[in-house]
Amino acid sequence: MKSSESTLAHREAGTNIIPERKSTNAAVKKKGLSRKAKDNLAGYLFISPWIIGFLGLTLGPLLFSLAASFTDYNITSKMNFIGLENYKRMFTMDDLFRTSLYNTIYYVIFSVPLTTAGAILLAVLLNQKVKGMKFFRTIYYLPAILSGVAVYFLWMQLLSPSTGLVNTMLGWFGIEGPAWLFDPEWTKPALLLMKMWSVGGGMLLYLASLQGVSSQMYEAADIEGATAWQKFYHITLPMISPIIFFDVITSTIGSFQIFQEAYVMTENGSGGPGNSLLFYNLHMWNNAFEVFDMGYASAMAWLLFIIVMILTVLNMKLGKRWVHYEGGDGK
Amino acid sequence: MKRGLAFILAVFLLIGMLAGCSGEQKADAGKKTQDGKVVVDFWTFWGSETRRPIIEKIIEDYNNSQDKVFVKHTFLPWGDIWTKNLASVAAGNPADVIINDINTVSQRAENKQVEELSKYIDDSFKQQFYPHLWDTVEYEGKAYAVPFNTDTRLLFYNKKAFKEAGLDPEKPPATWAELEEYAKKLDVKNGKQYDRVGFYPLWGSVGASSWMTNADSGKGFIDNGELAINTPKKVEALEWILGWKERLGENTVQAFQAEFGSEQANPFIAEKVAMWVDVGTFYTQLRDYGQDLEFGVAPLPEYEEGAGNWAEGGGFVAEIPKGAKNPEEAMDFIKYLTGPEAQKYWAVKNYDNVANIEAAEATIEELKGPDKMVYEATVKNLEQTKMFPVPVEYPDYHSRINPQIDNALLGKTTPEKALEKAENDVEKMKKK
Repeated sequence: MKSSESTLAHREAGTNIIPERKSTNAAVKKKGLSRKAKDNLAGYLFISPWIIGFLGLTLGPLLFSLAASFTDYNITSKMNFIGLENYKRMFTMDDLFRTSLYNTIYYVIFSVPLTTAGAILLAVLLNQKVKGMKFFRTIYYLPAILSGVAVYFLWMQLLSPSTGLVNTMLGWFGIEGPAWLFDPEWTKPALLLMKMWSVGGGMLLYLASLQGVSSQMYEAADIEGATAWQKFYHITLPMISPIIFFDVITSTIGSFQIFQEAYVMTENGSGGPGNSLLFYNLHMWNNAFEVFDMGYASAMAWLLFIIVMILTVLNMKLGKRWVHYEGGDGK
Repeated sequence: MKRGLAFILAVFLLIGMLAGCSGEQKADAGKKTQDGKVVVDFWTFWGSETRRPIIEKIIEDYNNSQDKVFVKHTFLPWGDIWTKNLASVAAGNPADVIINDINTVSQRAENKQVEELSKYIDDSFKQQFYPHLWDTVEYEGKAYAVPFNTDTRLLFYNKKAFKEAGLDPEKPPATWAELEEYAKKLDVKNGKQYDRVGFYPLWGSVGASSWMTNADSGKGFIDNGELAINTPKKVEALEWILGWKERLGENTVQAFQAEFGSEQANPFIAEKVAMWVDVGTFYTQLRDYGQDLEFGVAPLPEYEEGAGNWAEGGGFVAEIPKGAKNPEEAMDFIKYLTGPEAQKYWAVKNYDNVANIEAAEATIEELKGPDKMVYEATVKNLEQTKMFPVPVEYPDYHSRINPQIDNALLGKTTPEKALEKAENDVEKMKKK
C-alpha cells in the first residue's frame, strides 16, 4: 500500500523523483565526501530544477495567496488585513458564489462516475481478442490527444442547435434536439457529453491494468462455471481497483478545477446563459482579473482547496473498503 | 549531507543573482535609443492587417516630427493585453502608453493602475473632445486618460426591401411602434418558414440593455450612482423584446442566428434581414461586400415620440500605466495621438469614430458619396449616444444583470421578476 500510494502521489503531481537508492557498498571511508554524501548530492542536483520550480513558482505563490486571502489585496493599490471578511462574504453576500459552487458540484457528481464507468466499459470492450483491435484502440484513443481549445470549438459547432451534427443526427430519429449551449438546462449535459467523447485517456490506463490481470483466475473461474458478469464483478473489478481509485481521485480533483471549457465556450467567458456554466474557477478568475479582487479570489481558491482536500481524504478512507492491492494485506 | 545542502543553497543564490542582474539591466538600458532618444513603449491590440499599418504610420509620423522621443509599438493580442498590463503595473515595469477600455477608466484610477494626467491638461485640451467621452476619463474631478475612439449604433435598412413592401424608402421607422409595423410588412414568409425577417431587436451590434436604456430616456442601469435597473420602462422594453421572439418563434430566431456570419454571410448584406442595428464601421462591410445593396441609415427608433433616439456607445482611451518611467514623454505622444491630425488619419483610414471633434468634422469634409453620408450620420448620432462607465462601487455589475435578462428572454422568469432580482443582486454587491 505504502509504496503504491506514494508513486500515485508523485504521478499525480507530475513530478519525477529519483527512487531512493540503497547504497550497497556502505560507507567506504575516503577523503572528502563519503560515497553516500556524493550520492545524495547528485540526487539533489538532479532534482534541483524541480525543487527550485516548486519553491519559487508553487510554494511561494501558494503561501502568498493564503496571506492574500485575509486581505483586500487588489494587485496594485491595496493590501490591508481584513481577517475572515472574504470568507464571510462568500457565504453571505455573493450569490454568484453559490451558483458557481452548485454548477461545479453538479458537474463533478455527473462527470466523475460517467467518465470512470465509460472508460472502464471501453477498456473492457477493447480488451477482447478480436481482429483489428489495434485499429479500434487507436480510434478511441484519438480524441484524448487533441488539445483543449480546438476541441471546444469543434464541439460548439457540433452542438449548434439548428445546424450542428448532433441535432441533425437526432433529427434522423425524429428527436428534436435541445439548444445545448444556449439553453441553461442543457449546457452542463452538453459539457458532459463532450467529456465522454474523450474518455480515451482513462481507457488507456484501464486497458494496461486489464492486461495485467492473470488469465489463470479467469480459467479457474471458468472451471467453477462462473458467468461473464461474475467474472467481471469478482475478478476484473477488484484486480483493477487500484487504478479505479487513482482515476476517481484525480478526476474528482480535475473536475473541481473545470475552467477552460466554460471560459472558451461561453460568450466573453461570462458563464453562459443564465450563469449555467459559471463554474467555481471561472467565478474566481472573473473576481481576480476582471474586477481585480485578488484577495477575495485567493480566499475562494483556498476554500476550494479545503473542499477538495476533505473529499480526497474521504476517498482515501473509503478506498480501504474496496480497493484491492495484490500481495498486500489491505492496509 | 550538509555540504549537499550548502551546495544547493549556493546554486540558488547564484541563480537569484543572475535573475536579479538581468532584470535590472533591462530596466535601465533599452529605454534609450542609440542616438539618445527616450524610448516610449506603446501597447496596443491593433495587430490586424488593416489596423496595424495605420497605427504604425501615425507612430512613424510622430517619431519623424521631433528628435527627443522614439515611440516603440508593441502589439499584444486582445485577450492578453489587460492582464499583462496589470501584471506589469504590479511589477513596477509597465508600458509608457497603453490603449485601454473607455468604460472602466475610473476602476483603474481607483485601484491606482493609471497615472493621473491633470498636470498635463488644460481646459483647451479637454475641449477638443466630445463631452460624453471626456466624462468617462474623469474620476473625482481628475483626468486619468484621453479618449481615442468611440462608436455608436445606427439602424441600417434595406431600401429595395422597403419599396417591395410598399414603404417609403426615404422614411425609416422613427418610433418603436413604427419599427414593429414596418418589420411585419418586411417579413417574407414561405409557408411556415421565413425567407426574410423584417427586424429582430437582438441581432446586430445591439443587446437587450441597449433597448432598455433607449426606452428609459437614455438612463443606464446605474444613473448618477443610483440603481435604475428595475424601472417600469426597462421592464416594458424587456417585454417588448420577448414579444418579437414570440412572434417570430424560437426556431426561426435560432435558425437565422445559426447562419449568421460576416461579410457576404452577414444577413443584412445577404438580404435575409431587412433592418439591422450596427456600429458605423459596419458600413465598410456594406461598401466592400454589398455592392448591389441599396441601403439607408437612421438613428435608433425612439421608444415614443420625443423620448429620444438613445444609443449605447463604447470606445478606447490612451493612458499612462501607473509607474511608467517616462510619463512626460508619454503624454507628449498621447497629445499627438489624440490630436486632430492623427485622429483624422485614423478616422479616414479606419472609418472609425474618433474622439477629437475637429478631426471628426474634418473627416466628414474629406469623405464623399455614401462614405460621407454614413460617417456624417454616425457623428451626428454621437449627440444621442450614451456611455455607461462602470462605477467603482459596482464593479462587474453586468455579471449580476445579464443572467437575469437571459432567464427572462428564455422564459424562465418574467421580465418584472428578473429585473427585480437583478436590482437586488447588484444592490448586494455594492462596495463600501
